[in-house]
Amino acid sequence: MSGTLSRRKFLAASAAVTAGSLAAPWVARADAKEITALLITGGPLYPKYWEKIVQDFTAKTGIKVRYDLLEFTPLTAKVVTLSAARSSQYDVYSTHTAQIDSYFNHFAPLNSYFSDSELADFYPVAVKYLRDPKTGNLAAIPRNMDARVQYYRSDIYQEKGLKPAETWEELVDVGLKLTGNGHYGLVVPGQGDPAQRTFSDLLWQAGGDWVDQANKPAFNSEAGIKALTFYRDLIQKHKIVPPDAVGYQWNENSTEFSSGTVYATFDWPGAFAALSNPETSRVVGKWSTAPYVRDKAAISCAISHAMALNGQSGRKEPAVEFIKYTVSKDAQRLQFDQFTNFPSSQSLAKEVIAAAKGPQATWLQQLETTIANGKEWPKLAGFSKVCTLMFSAIEQALSDQASPADSLNQAATEAEDIMRRAGAYD
Amino acid sequence: MAPVAQTRVSGRRRRSPLPYTWQRGYLLASPALLVMLAILIYPLGYSFIMSFFRWDLSGSAPFIGAGNYTDELLGRQFNQALRNQTIFSVVSITIEVVAGMAIAVLVNGKLRGMRLARTLLLVPPMIAPAVVGLNFRWLFNTQYGLVDALLRIFNLPDIPWLTHPAWALVSVIVADVWQNTPLMVLLFLAGLQSLPQEPLEAATVDGATPWQRFWHIVLPLMRPVIMIALMLRIIDTFRTFDVVWLMTQGGPGGATNLLTVYSYLLAFQAVDFGHAAAVSYIALGMSLFVLGLLYGVPWLIAKRRAI
Repeated sequence: MSGTLSRRKFLAASAAVTAGSLAAPWVARADAKEITALLITGGPLYPKYWEKIVQDFTAKTGIKVRYDLLEFTPLTAKVVTLSAARSSQYDVYSTHTAQIDSYFNHFAPLNSYFSDSELADFYPVAVKYLRDPKTGNLAAIPRNMDARVQYYRSDIYQEKGLKPAETWEELVDVGLKLTGNGHYGLVVPGQGDPAQRTFSDLLWQAGGDWVDQANKPAFNSEAGIKALTFYRDLIQKHKIVPPDAVGYQWNENSTEFSSGTVYATFDWPGAFAALSNPETSRVVGKWSTAPYVRDKAAISCAISHAMALNGQSGRKEPAVEFIKYTVSKDAQRLQFDQFTNFPSSQSLAKEVIAAAKGPQATWLQQLETTIANGKEWPKLAGFSKVCTLMFSAIEQALSDQASPADSLNQAATEAEDIMRRAGAYD
Repeated sequence: MAPVAQTRVSGRRRRSPLPYTWQRGYLLASPALLVMLAILIYPLGYSFIMSFFRWDLSGSAPFIGAGNYTDELLGRQFNQALRNQTIFSVVSITIEVVAGMAIAVLVNGKLRGMRLARTLLLVPPMIAPAVVGLNFRWLFNTQYGLVDALLRIFNLPDIPWLTHPAWALVSVIVADVWQNTPLMVLLFLAGLQSLPQEPLEAATVDGATPWQRFWHIVLPLMRPVIMIALMLRIIDTFRTFDVVWLMTQGGPGGATNLLTVYSYLLAFQAVDFGHAAAVSYIALGMSLFVLGLLYGVPWLIAKRRAI
């Protein structure tokens, strides 16, 4: 055989390589014993958690899972991009209630894969806001619950003879007594999605809601204006919140409390583990938890991290098996043990609450109450774009660029227009 | 020069099946052209088409003509972003060019330490914009930042750099000026060092002051370099994203929303690719228009003078 490469051989080899490359995705898709997943991570323990879940799942079912891990924000951006491209690169996605309405046409409905009795075990608030209100399709299944309680410096409160605030008025009173000498009584975020979450809680507590019965914007009602005025005054009038809070998101919010600069905050379940860890907290053993504050009502958001099936997936059956495994009681219990993530399964939540002791038991009960009374903003067509509008409107009021009434009235007019064009009223 | 097809290959002369014409040149360049088409022209064309559709992951993507463009041009948020973009571009480019020229003239002199100064000037443009954004976010933090701490030493009041709408825009301009002025200095320095010395020497002999030499000789001779610098910065300011995103995310209340930041929010937060693409193309059109003015107006003036 000649050692030289003829032009004909070169062209034949090139054609074979090209054909192989083009056929590879279809060949890979044909292997039903392997699925792909894009999963959420955050902190050093998460990769180990997924490694264990995947290993256990493969051992149990024989289905291999190739997965990539991304933190929440890049994960959301990637899912948006892949959905727009109608990609089948991943069969399974980690997702969240926050933007679920954007994916109603891209995630495959999970209704037929879960029986009514299986769904009944999940917290109703989680399942409700993962459904497309138009079709009733379940776009994702909740993996763990996200809700907030009050974290406060029990040592400082005891020293000054204070109790954690229960109402809006008490929040201001306690905050004023604690603010001074470089310390602040409270921290709340004031930018982007965290600002909208905070406003949302205050809106519900003031007796308002995002939309009325006809799904028309109602967040500029008297209750809405009262909520945004109260929120702004915490920063601008009472000054019990650090001045830079207008630019804070969740990380800055948590850091202000864990560094000891601020004496109270409202934070997610992950804070419980982070504040107990000397590597991430300067206030270990100096804090405690209390219920979220209330006004006319005691309502705040109850959302969930969830798992979804890519509508473009060619391996739906094994992918659903994996999704089911990730929301199984075993997987949720492992999550709770490692990250104190609150289970989405009601029965498991009751078990972990019953087994918990001391401050953890109190905290879990407070979370449970928040979730039971919790809400989420509506999942109407166009509402994701309304959220972008709201970030700006809330920030304008918080930074004193416009009055709360003007900000909300303008946003309400524009929001109705956005939702109409998106087909929310069709 | 001998054509490529007639060079010796493996010790023997080979005849090419194709004549040595321009078609063959295109054939040889075609792999590179295909790659360019795939990664540059195709996405550009695709996003341009996307800007005429309601493209929001809702399933159907109806054609809506120029709807996305008119929505944005009439919309409050776009107009706020446009206003911010105009202020950001005009102010930062003006400062960068003027300060860049002044520093270039200074470091072009034969003073002590100028070599070190020129080396240090390389540092800011080499730092990733994301790092610049994070650093300035902390420098301008009211509670922990160095800038307000220095103000306190002099008994001056704190400035809410990132939380007051006007100061927030000033802050992102400062960060941009800090990073890009040295680039202008390097460009202008290269231009100054390549200027012919004879006119300057003649002017000195004629008794011209340093300012007169700069204004009447150096500046006109530097015009081509200044035009290149302006072109680069106009293109760059219309692409600025990282620094602003990391410092303010376009806030507070859209006060630092530039067109890129607004387009990103539309695409990845509002999941509205049609409007996001329209905003990107309006930004592209604006930068092309400004560049057209920059090069077209002097050309027209010169042409009219020639007539």
